[in-house]
Amino acid sequence: MKSLAQSYLGVNYELRPAKQVERRMIIDALHTLSLQGLQIRDYQYTGFGSVYFVDFVLFHRLLGIQRMLSVEADTTIEKRVRFNKPFKHIDIEMVPAGDVIPALSRDLRHLLWLDYDDRLLDTHLSDVRMAAFHLSRGSIILVTVDVEPPGDSCSDPQEWYAYYQRQAGNLFDEAWNLQDFAAGKLPGVTGALLARAIDSGLAARPEIKFWPLFKFLYADGHQMLTLGGMLGGDEERRLIDGSKLNDACYMRLDPDAPPYEIRVPKVTRKERLYLDQHMPCCNGWHPPEFEFSADSVEAYREIYRFFPAYAELLL
Amino acid sequence: MTQHASAFPHKRFFLEMFTRDISVEDCILDLIDNSVDALIRTRNIQVSSLLRNGRPTKGKATRIPTVEFTHSPNQVAVIDNCGGIPNDLVLNDVFSFGHTPEYELGALGAYGVGLKRALFKLGRHFVLESRTPTGGFRVSLDVEKWSLKDSSPEDWYIPVSFIEGVGHEVDAGTSIRITHLRPEVIQRFRDPMTLKRLHDLVGQAYALFLGKHVRAFVDAKAVEPLTVPLGESSEVNAGVDEFAKGGVKVTLLTSLAPRDDQGEWLQDKAGWYVFCNGRLVVAADKSDLTGWGIPPLPAWHSKYRGFVGMALFQSDDPLALPWTTTKRDLNRESPIYQYARERMAILARPVMTFLNRMYPSEPQEVPADRRIADRVKPISISQVAARKSGPFVAKQTPTGEQLATVRVQYDATKEELDRIRRRLGKTRMSATRIGRHTLDYFLKRECPR
Repeated sequence: MKSLAQSYLGVNYELRPAKQVERRMIIDALHTLSLQGLQIRDYQYTGFGSVYFVDFVLFHRLLGIQRMLSVEADTTIEKRVRFNKPFKHIDIEMVPAGDVIPALSRDLRHLLWLDYDDRLLDTHLSDVRMAAFHLSRGSIILVTVDVEPPGDSCSDPQEWYAYYQRQAGNLFDEAWNLQDFAAGKLPGVTGALLARAIDSGLAARPEIKFWPLFKFLYADGHQMLTLGGMLGGDEERRLIDGSKLNDACYMRLDPDAPPYEIRVPKVTRKERLYLDQHMPCCNGWHPPEFEFSADSVEAYREIYRFFPAYAELLL
Repeated sequence: MTQHASAFPHKRFFLEMFTRDISVEDCILDLIDNSVDALIRTRNIQVSSLLRNGRPTKGKATRIPTVEFTHSPNQVAVIDNCGGIPNDLVLNDVFSFGHTPEYELGALGAYGVGLKRALFKLGRHFVLESRTPTGGFRVSLDVEKWSLKDSSPEDWYIPVSFIEGVGHEVDAGTSIRITHLRPEVIQRFRDPMTLKRLHDLVGQAYALFLGKHVRAFVDAKAVEPLTVPLGESSEVNAGVDEFAKGGVKVTLLTSLAPRDDQGEWLQDKAGWYVFCNGRLVVAADKSDLTGWGIPPLPAWHSKYRGFVGMALFQSDDPLALPWTTTKRDLNRESPIYQYARERMAILARPVMTFLNRMYPSEPQEVPADRRIADRVKPISISQVAARKSGPFVAKQTPTGEQLATVRVQYDATKEELDRIRRRLGKTRMSATRIGRHTLDYFLKRECPR
């Protein structure tokens, strides 16, 4: 049986449309920030490249990031990881993320994506807290976790409450009750815990705040939550405010805002070509040629710029 | 109509309440702090150099100043030749509670409470005499009598007589003799453990000063400085981190301890050692005070008994340091300490990773890592502190070496192991080590190469 952490065996990372939309939206936002003066090319990207390195390829090609570090805790696939490394300049560390974060240089700005594929664990919160304390001003932290209810299909909110209480330790909000742990509220609880871990890490750095940028919710199978933002002071806040990022539908600059849900309508190649010809469409537009709900039109209008095209390639 | 409520202090508060939150041992340390502060002031000792300097040669060591604590059923005394207190301080500063903003603080004397609190806590009468090369003063106070009059600020004055200086630096110093000891103090000193404890605490608190700048004696017995058991080897490099914030310079060191002569790590020596301006404030701490149990550090567990960390805070302004008024605890609210504690955890983490790997399931150690740990030897802290910042590193053993070993497991009775321990005279030897020892014995005797 494969563990959650071995999801790379079950899912081809290159074929997860919602995840890919998320990556493209993040790149779009970082690009927008770089137009405002953010030197994203000089950042170090640290992520979990696994054996696919999709994010590494995109960040290098589209953002020009040169300094890259991929972290992999599963030492049994070390050769595979190294074999699949797409560029020479990517460093590989075969250790848990928590061992790498303290070693990230304080002299560099970092783009750190803790892209976990399992449900929230105490070690995740510890990593996030440590990153918030350790990373230099201007660094960007992204955290992704699975927000499906923990336990088997028979488990209930009582068990989920106990699970999150155990993982959160002192970060748990004692004001929470069972109602807060209904299945539909788990993304909210997870987001709150990640935010509390960041606040805890920043408690000793009063000059630094966490400026939220992203809060994505999506599912290519399991429902996942990504929280992201920048560590900084007033200067970084001005940069974000001046960038017009707030106009983008996927941005979440307000920490209390609900997540942006990435919805990827299922369309055929022919439908897609048709829809693209009419994008961006006006409110109320719908394709007269085929059935497509108003919701789907709206979802498509939001993601079409970031939507990957898949096709079979005969090599 | 506005009237005014009295907020004047009462002597009773300082004599009875103020003295409750401090132990006899800490009072003696407060008195010794005054001696060490005089030493720093008169010998111009740089606190920042305490880590760097080695011990003086034997000949020179006998000429360095001394501070001596003695006690009898009627008296406790702290006598030093550390330079004395200048006359200009005695009228307005030495006996006032707290310092004026203009007062130039010493390296250790930060709060202006320690001396007074110690004098009042220990007895009902004291004689304080101090001489510098150029002048001196003497104060003899019957505290009981002095406390009776308490109606106006004038009643708080303490008579001081000025005396001649000693002419040269070598004999300049201070003597404090406290008599009419409080019954509870006499009771504490009746227990021989109190003196032993005081002896150990002096060795701890002034570990960085003793032997280099001052010699200390507790009831005529020379005090040896505590050695922080920080180790290294060709495979193990200590982690070093240095930074400055809010006028405080912080140096952090983490590593493994060297094993003792029985090949074990001593649990009571493990943990964090925190110094403020060279004075040890917290020794071998394993609590949340130094970050244990607060992510990313795990709660303390016996498998971490190989861990040793040092945190050294230095500042020209002792009020900026994170110590409490007793100087034996840390002020958790101090912003510099809140920040430093996070960096301590970050520097400690790789050591925990190594120890977690070494003890995947207690009590057995991973053989390859055990060999790394066995080779760790004591090191000069001054050498490590002078190094550039970098994380703790324990070089990973090549996979081939790990595969070449086989784990041997079998049951033995406790009585059998105790017999072996007694035979070897090593009462704390672990079962794992006994197993290894007996195997080595057979290999050596029966299977020579």
